Amino acid sequence: MCMKRMLISGNEAVAYGAIDAGCRFYAGYPITPSSEIMHMMAKLLPEHGGVFIQAEDELAAINMLIGASWAGLKAMTATSGPGFSLMQEGIGYAVMTETPLVVVDVMRAGPATGQATKAAQGDLMQARWGRHGDQYLVVLAPESPQEAYDLIIEAFNISESLRTPVVFLSDEFIGHGREVVFRKDPEEIQLVERRRPSDHEPLFGSDDPRIPPPMPRLGDGYYVLVTGSTHNEYGYRDVHSFETHYRLVKRLKEKIWGNIDKIFKYEVVGDPEGAEKAVVCFGSTCRSAKEAIEGMDDVVLIRLITLWPLNYDLLRKLLSNVSLILVPELSLGQLIYDVQQVVDSDVKVIGVNKVGGGVPIYPSEIKEALKG
Amino acid sequence: MFSIAYLGRGGQGIVFAATITAEALYEKGYYVAQLQNYGASVRGGSVLGYVVADNKPIKNPFVEVFDVMIALHEEGLKRWKCLVEKSKKIIVDEKLVKSEVSGAIKVPLSSIAEEEGVYQALNLVAVRLAFKVLGITGIDEVMDKLLKNRKNYDLNKKAYMIGKEIVIFRDFGTE
Amino acid sequence: MSGHEHPSLKYMRKEVLPTAFCPGCFNGIVMNALFQAFEELEILDLKKYVFVSGIGCSSWIPSPYIKADSLHTLHGRAIPVATGVKLANPDLEVIVIGGDGDLASIGGNHLLHAARRNMDLVVIMINNLVYGMTRGQAAPTTPKGMITPTTPYGNPEEPMDVARLLASTNANYVAKWCISQYMFLKNSFKKVLGEIKRGFRFIEVYAPCTTFVIRRENKTPGQKLKELMNTCIGLEKLEKMPREERTKYIPTGVFKENDKPGFIDNYRQYVSISKR
Repeated sequence: MCMKRMLISGNEAVAYGAIDAGCRFYAGYPITPSSEIMHMMAKLLPEHGGVFIQAEDELAAINMLIGASWAGLKAMTATSGPGFSLMQEGIGYAVMTETPLVVVDVMRAGPATGQATKAAQGDLMQARWGRHGDQYLVVLAPESPQEAYDLIIEAFNISESLRTPVVFLSDEFIGHGREVVFRKDPEEIQLVERRRPSDHEPLFGSDDPRIPPPMPRLGDGYYVLVTGSTHNEYGYRDVHSFETHYRLVKRLKEKIWGNIDKIFKYEVVGDPEGAEKAVVCFGSTCRSAKEAIEGMDDVVLIRLITLWPLNYDLLRKLLSNVSLILVPELSLGQLIYDVQQVVDSDVKVIGVNKVGGGVPIYPSEIKEALKG
Repeated sequence: MFSIAYLGRGGQGIVFAATITAEALYEKGYYVAQLQNYGASVRGGSVLGYVVADNKPIKNPFVEVFDVMIALHEEGLKRWKCLVEKSKKIIVDEKLVKSEVSGAIKVPLSSIAEEEGVYQALNLVAVRLAFKVLGITGIDEVMDKLLKNRKNYDLNKKAYMIGKEIVIFRDFGTE
Repeated sequence: MSGHEHPSLKYMRKEVLPTAFCPGCFNGIVMNALFQAFEELEILDLKKYVFVSGIGCSSWIPSPYIKADSLHTLHGRAIPVATGVKLANPDLEVIVIGGDGDLASIGGNHLLHAARRNMDLVVIMINNLVYGMTRGQAAPTTPKGMITPTTPYGNPEEPMDVARLLASTNANYVAKWCISQYMFLKNSFKKVLGEIKRGFRFIEVYAPCTTFVIRRENKTPGQKLKELMNTCIGLEKLEKMPREERTKYIPTGVFKENDKPGFIDNYRQYVSISKR
């Protein structure tokens, strides 16, 4: 073990993690509070033989990623709410064409321009559902700069192995907060690369929906047909038949949900069997929550690292014994709907909601709310 | 675990104070977490910057009670009233903070800095004072190294060392 | 039969023929000119060529008809996707084919910035004057006064002259041809594929939509072609005319020609600084 100790912000940690994950393409548009990721990538990529470009807007940035990914590079962009909104159409295209890429959203208070420098967690629903049509992708959320580093590597691995875009939900506290981060040695990092086609197997279909089709590089001689229109397993557009469309979107859905065991990551603090109360949280908010429940034997904390797909069955199981659940969020409440969905109506589900001004949810507030 | 908060107005170098505090403590081997709250503009608006340090990894950087809080401007005080009042040790600038803060010690930081010709580096006076109040020793060497890597070394160093000389007549404990 | 096969067919995915284009559509002429340029340059296989298109009739030319890698992208986003491909693998020759609505309206910002960067792309814009795929609504290139479903009382807006606009940027090559000027068009393709091999190379093809422009004028495509032979004239000839005469004609020709380093060259230079 030879880890490099650094004092860096969560945004810088994301950039280092991306480089260590093999990311060699970045296109982006500056936006607070994500810009430091872009600054770092601008500095690091040329040194690592990668390509950095400042796009004219976020629409261009996400589409440049799509091109670069098909040309064979691991690609990332980082943005915040307003830019994330602009990227939605491109993310939808990446879902439809099964283009691996990573989109980092360093969340700030919205909607619209909102408060550019103030942390929030209000993009959860947008990360899951921001695109039109039947579409599924993976959403991950770190709780700290250290986890931002570790988890972004995982984001690339999931993206490559499932040929899917991955949304990485950070927030301003993580992005601008500087902490001690340990950077791994290249030998310690397990990297996953997208599967290349062996012969002329279909590039947009597979018998088992859980196994994504292989992905060639442009220029490899496969005469690839990539299209955002409904297409058959060989890429040919079919904008009429029910069967082709249904088969495609069904497979794309099952590719994500069918791999939930591999994708779904979470942390449990405390004993779900013996607990009477629970806290369900994600992101930086969990750190206050963890402090709040220290020494409380009757409280279990569930931190969701993967926010989509969400393992509802597991969550239901973990929450089966409690009568009170707190859901602290830096928004008016979005994760709370998932929790309400998995528990009986007699279980009290309370949101601890705070957003704007860059004020975190403090441990004392969670302690107070746990009194019921 | 201990924590230091600096409060002021955009342009006073509050974020820099927190940054260099975090770096110095990091160099001393602590686990640190640094956070700040500021607006988009460079000047004006309240700025809060703070550092949490510990011998073990920081579990939660969202601190409600600071071990020492140094306020260099009136503006931030109003906004972060609740955090200021909970702080264990509160130091406010005699001249720049007009309102009364219960339990706070008034120190003529800005007046001294002005007299010594280091007003622009008032933030570093505060940094050294924070170390002093918390009894953090053996940190000047690290700070010297950090300041050397940046612009305006002479001015910054002078300001920093002034912080060491400021005497507070209150049982805060000193070096 | 292969000995008598049309020379263009080797560049096409034969299994998807016939094309979905309307009878008399000028897209076929553009395709032939492009394929003939490849043929004359002795480029017989398009393995190292990547075609990127957006949404619209002309975007269907590469996807699926051209036998090469192709990315059929979102409406207006062909240029950024092409930019990503080119940057990730500069050995690939990247060609964008799109319409005026796709490239100049919804994708207008990308077009402008790719030209500003002198991005190493060939961009072929088939200007059919309307949104042909969605029944001929007004586009930014629609002439003033033209009646379309979205301008039922005659288009109140002035059209934009895309070629002239791009000629004012850093683009290496900007040309505009009428569909009636086949040889000029083909030679222009040869120029940007064989001679000027870097920077932003833009070719506009003035080719009114058969269904939603020509038929609305109660003309046949053949009649329109004959008319264009008279109305499309060279830049130099146009300049000699009195000012008030000029508006009756469609200026064609090479607006700009350069062989300056493109973005890729400049980026390599930039990277070498980072490594110093």
